[in-house]
Parts: sequence; structure tokens; C-alpha cells
Amino acid sequence: MSSGLTLSVLLEHDLVTFARAVGVLRRRNFPVKSIAVGPSASPGLARLTIMMEADQATGDRAARQLEKIIGVREASAFPARDGVARELALVRVRAGREHHAELLDIALLYKAAILDEFVDGAILEVSGSEAFVLSFLRALDGFELLEVARSGAVAVERTSGLPVPVTHTSEAVP
Amino acid sequence: MTELLTGAQVMCRVLLEEGVDVMFGYPGGAIMPFYHALPEFPTLRHVLVRHEQAAAHAADGYARASGRPGVCVATSGPGATNLVTGLATAMMDSAPVVAITGQVPRNMIGRDAFQETDIIGITQPITKHNVLVQDVELLASHLGEAFAIAREGRPGPVLVDVPKDVQNQKIEYEGRSRGVPVPAKRLPAAPADLREAAELIATAQRPLIMAGHGVVLAGAYEELRCLAERTGIPVITTLLGISGFPESHPLHLGMPGMHGEVHVNRAIQQADLIVGVGLRFDDRVTGNTAAFAPRAKIIHLELDPSEVGKNVPATVALLGDCRTVLRELLRAVGPRDCRAWRAEIAGLMKSRTEQYRGDLSPEGILQVLDEETEGRCTIVSDVGQHQMWVAKLYPYERPNTHITSGGLGTMGFAVPGAIGVRLARPDEPVWAISGDGGFQMNMQEMATMVQEQIPVKMAIFNNGYLGMVRQWQQFFHGRRYSATPIWSPDYVKLAEAYGVAGWRVENADQTRAAIRAAMVVPGPALVEFLIEQEANVFPMIPPGASLSEPIEGEPAPLVPA
Repeated sequence: MSSGLTLSVLLEHDLVTFARAVGVLRRRNFPVKSIAVGPSASPGLARLTIMMEADQATGDRAARQLEKIIGVREASAFPARDGVARELALVRVRAGREHHAELLDIALLYKAAILDEFVDGAILEVSGSEAFVLSFLRALDGFELLEVARSGAVAVERTSGLPVPVTHTSEAVP
Repeated sequence: MTELLTGAQVMCRVLLEEGVDVMFGYPGGAIMPFYHALPEFPTLRHVLVRHEQAAAHAADGYARASGRPGVCVATSGPGATNLVTGLATAMMDSAPVVAITGQVPRNMIGRDAFQETDIIGITQPITKHNVLVQDVELLASHLGEAFAIAREGRPGPVLVDVPKDVQNQKIEYEGRSRGVPVPAKRLPAAPADLREAAELIATAQRPLIMAGHGVVLAGAYEELRCLAERTGIPVITTLLGISGFPESHPLHLGMPGMHGEVHVNRAIQQADLIVGVGLRFDDRVTGNTAAFAPRAKIIHLELDPSEVGKNVPATVALLGDCRTVLRELLRAVGPRDCRAWRAEIAGLMKSRTEQYRGDLSPEGILQVLDEETEGRCTIVSDVGQHQMWVAKLYPYERPNTHITSGGLGTMGFAVPGAIGVRLARPDEPVWAISGDGGFQMNMQEMATMVQEQIPVKMAIFNNGYLGMVRQWQQFFHGRRYSATPIWSPDYVKLAEAYGVAGWRVENADQTRAAIRAAMVVPGPALVEFLIEQEANVFPMIPPGASLSEPIEGEPAPLVPA
């Protein structure tokens, strides 16, 4: 059965290692939905989060392939439901003065920050699960979206050794 | 004690420290500082090839024959890109090769400088690892690590790209500093898994051992033989597993897969247990994986965890090098026999006389070759029909005496590959056997053999076709022989032009004299065999079909519509 799977990879923080990791996913045809990368807790190491539509066996195979790369320290695959995943979206939206109030309402509803505001629009920032971000973008359907930049999801696994965070605030919105 | 050395001198020193005695290469602009330093190190033998592809294949052949990393050297740009096929070949067949390439100076990188190519980007998928040396301070450790990575775990090619200005930089060199060891990422075989494997081996009714390249890479010949003899389980050897188990042994069954004997493939399809030792269940071995060994549980002994479950599901995976894991397994496996099963397999055997028109058959040639070398010979084969004949018909007895490009199927491998093999085995007759297609891909290397006095003996099975492709066209493409007829030069005259002794054999009764004469001449020699033009390799599993569906004879002639 195919479902959301998260691959979490700790690797050396340089373009060559990143290219190797992405390259192996591409050439072995793994069903990648999104990739996000940034610094990890360890200096010099980056955390790469890959979302896939795949079963656990496929995820494990991807992890074993990634682990062969010199510069990849660890790779593991876990069902998306066993982790917490968040992505960030920045949206530059066109809205005439008469629609600013409506835009503000949507922003409030989704706890979206207004990073910049100009005469005929604004830049909004929202974060949450993929579904939440998509819901936010749907809520903006009536507006012209001039530019959307999404980070791709980053995720951490809920493991027994760590407390499970209860930050459902942004999810409480319908 | 430190010395002030150039980067190029450091490279030579590291090669010495790594025990390198020979390398294969071709100079050019961006690698000139290295070549400038090389004469200061007279024990580093450099073999000048005629094309960089041959340097990579020769390094590969050297590595496979010696078990130590083979080294090839090329300049930036076209020199480096010419290595690509050789590196991909080594990657697919897990051969430890270290490739050193020159690169344009650092301040020119990224500016499309003359002979600049992103060889790190190009070779990323076909090397185990590669590195651009950005700092002369890191040169020795990068190069030392390249050898360690190439050698350790599952071997493979590593490329080190050294900008010209880094080769020229001066540095205080302290001699060998033991670099960072390559982190071991493999897990030992778990006792519970070993027990389960032993239990499966004890209770199976129809077990088979399938032995692959891992047996040769780990030198697990004795362990494999011990497992087979203790249990009576018949042994199948894959193309790269050939010569991992003596073929005269009563438990030896043969080669499986696309051109495997019918009884071998039928045995696989009826087996209830397959003990896979150091193989990756390549599609040429399994046929359609969905229909592969439908009744069998699989014990997979494998060094590379990413191979487990990649092509076929494993019931039990035992991770580690074949030698170690077989030893662990042998401690858990008790004696048994497989008499009934072996009798059943014997019942599947059919005597099949090879069908060749004319009397010069591949079988006959290989038999004479075996007799004339008294079984003491390493054969390097190329790719195609002759490769299958050599794999199936030559009686391999001694470990690691069959060297070929398996995974990538690289035509043109045999001639340069044999140069490396011969340098690794100076006391052994080395025969490069090619078809007329593959030979013409790298025949320029005869010049290398002459200049460097490397006595490789070459055999060409000349049928005037790209025979394996022609066979596929005959079987699956309505006999439309598109672009497969291939003209050849007069190989005897060509050899003569290179200063190589040559003979042409047209009839079986000329075979022995020609092989003997080629063996006797001190230098390289060539024997061309004019074989039946449209001979086919039988049996054959059509691509994508299951092992149960062999083609065993000539297809019916086409009936005009």
C-alpha cells in the first residue's frame, strides 16, 4: 500500500553531497514529492527531508541507497503519520485597497504573518502541514497570486525517547 | 620529517605509499605537472595507452586480477570524459579503480575554460565516490581516502580531480598520514538470521546455491566449496561468479539466466530454496523477476545492504562479505545430502550438440585453448555471443580466471582489460577473446602492448556480424539485419602493421597450430577465427520472459506473407 513516507537524511552540508543524494533518488526513480534541506543540530551537517508517496519497503530501499553515499551519515524512512511535518509558504498576492480587509481576515484565520504590505497587495507567510498550506492557498483563490514560494516539508520523527509536541494551534482552523 | 613537495610530487608519493606499481594513462595539459613529477619515481610504471577508455579498462582488469586498486590517469576535458565508459564498467562490476584526472586551474573552474569539463558531475552516478581537490593541504588525504574507499566494503571506482594549480602548489609533506578510515556502514549477520538460514538449508527439499562475483571478490572459494560439499547442494555460477567454483566438481551445475542451460534454469524454477552468495539477482540472471524461482525462499548473502530486496525479496539476509558470512554460516550448518534432488536435476539435463555449420566451432576452439594452456590461463572476454560461448564452454577450474564486463556489457573491454590482467599476472598466459565488433572498438591498444612489451594473446571470433544483436534481430525483429553486418580489416595484416604476430584460422585442423604458435611467440599475438556467420547462442530466454520459457533451437524460417 502506498502512502506518505518521510525520508530523513543527515549529510555533510555541501552542494556535492546534496547533489549526490538527490541524484541517487532521481536515477533510481524514487517517487519524490518534495525536498527540503538546511542546517542540522550538528555543525557541518545538514538535514535533508524528503517526502515520498511510497510504501515502507521502498523508503527503506531509498535509505539504503542514500547511506552508500560518502558524506551521508544516516538515512531513515518512516511513515509520515509517525512524524511531525511542517512547511512554509511565502505568497505575494495582489489586492486592491478595497480588498485589504478581506485579505487580513484570511491571514488572521490562518495565523499568516503579513511581511510586507503595499498599495495593491501584500506578502504573506504561512506555515503548517501540507494540507494546511494548501487550504490557505485555496482560501486565497479569489486573489491574484503573483508569486508563491513553498519550502517543502521538514519533518522530525515522533520517537518514544522524545516528548511529542502538542502544537495543534494552527491546525485548529478548519 | 617534512619535505617541500609540489602537489604533483605528493600525488606520486601517495601512489607509492598505496603500493601502486603500475598505472595506465595519457598525458595532457591539465595533468602535465603530475607527468613532470612522474620520472622522479621510477618504480611507478606508467603504461601509455592509445585512448583513455583503455586506461580505465586496463586499470579495471588489473584490479580484478590482483584484488588491488587499479590506477588510471587522464587529463581534463576529453581525457576525463574518455574514462567514463571504463568507470561505469568498473562500477557495475564492483572493481576497485582509482582514476586521477587533471582539472583546469581553480580560478578558471566554471568559466568554460579550455578542456574544462565537470567530471565530478559527469561521473557522480558511475563512481563509488569522487572528489575535486580544492586545496593542496587536502590532496594527500583525498587521494589516500580514494584508495581506501575503492578497496573497502563493496569495491568500486573513485575519481580524484586535481586542478593544475593544485598540482603545482608547494606543500610541506610529512609522509603517509593515515587518513580518516572509511566508516563501516555494514551490520554483522545476526545470530538469529544465521540460525534461520541454517534451518532453511537443513530442511529444504530442493536447495540451490547461486554464486556470484562476491565469491571472487571476497576470495570465498574454499568456504563456498565447503558449504556445497557439506550439504550436497548443487552450485550455479553467474557470469561473474564463473571460476568461483571448479566446473569439474560434481556439484557444479552451470550458468543461469538468459543464456543459461535449460536444466539450470529449470532447477531454479523448481527449487524451494536459493542460497544466493554475493550476487545481485541481475535481470539477465532472473528473467522476469515476478516468475523467478516461484517456489523458492531466498537466503541472500550480501555485502551491500542496498542490494537486499532490490530485485528479489530475501527471506533471510546475511550481511557481510561472502567469506566472513559463509564461515559464520558454516558453523551453523550441519551435514546433509541432496541425492534425490540432484537425481531430479540430472533428469532435466538434455544432451544438446551445439549446432554449427562448418567444423570450426567455438566449442572446439575453446577446448583446444584449454588443452594447449594446460588449463593455466586467464581469459578476458568481451561482450556478445563469444562471451556466452566462453562462459559456457570453457572449463574454468582455477579461481578468478574468467574476467569479463558483466553488468555494463562493455564491448571493447577485452583487449585493454587483458593488458591490465597480464600486468597483474606476469607469469600467466592471458588471452583476450573478442568478437569482430568488440575487437574493433579498442584494437588500437595493440600499439600499447608492443610499446610496453605486454604479451597479451588475442583471439577474435570473427563471424562478420555484430552477432548477438543479429541473433536478437533473427529471433525478435523478423530477421531484419539492420546495421549488424560488419566489415573487418585483414586482422593478420593489421597485426603485422603493429608489429604483432598474427594467424588466421579457417578450419578446425588449423586451430591447434595457431594457438600453439601464438603461445610460443614472446610478445603479443593475434589469432583470428573465421567462425560460422549465423551461429546462435542457445538456449536463450527472451528478454522479459521467465526462466521457464527458453528458446532451444533455430526459430522456424519466416513464411512470406
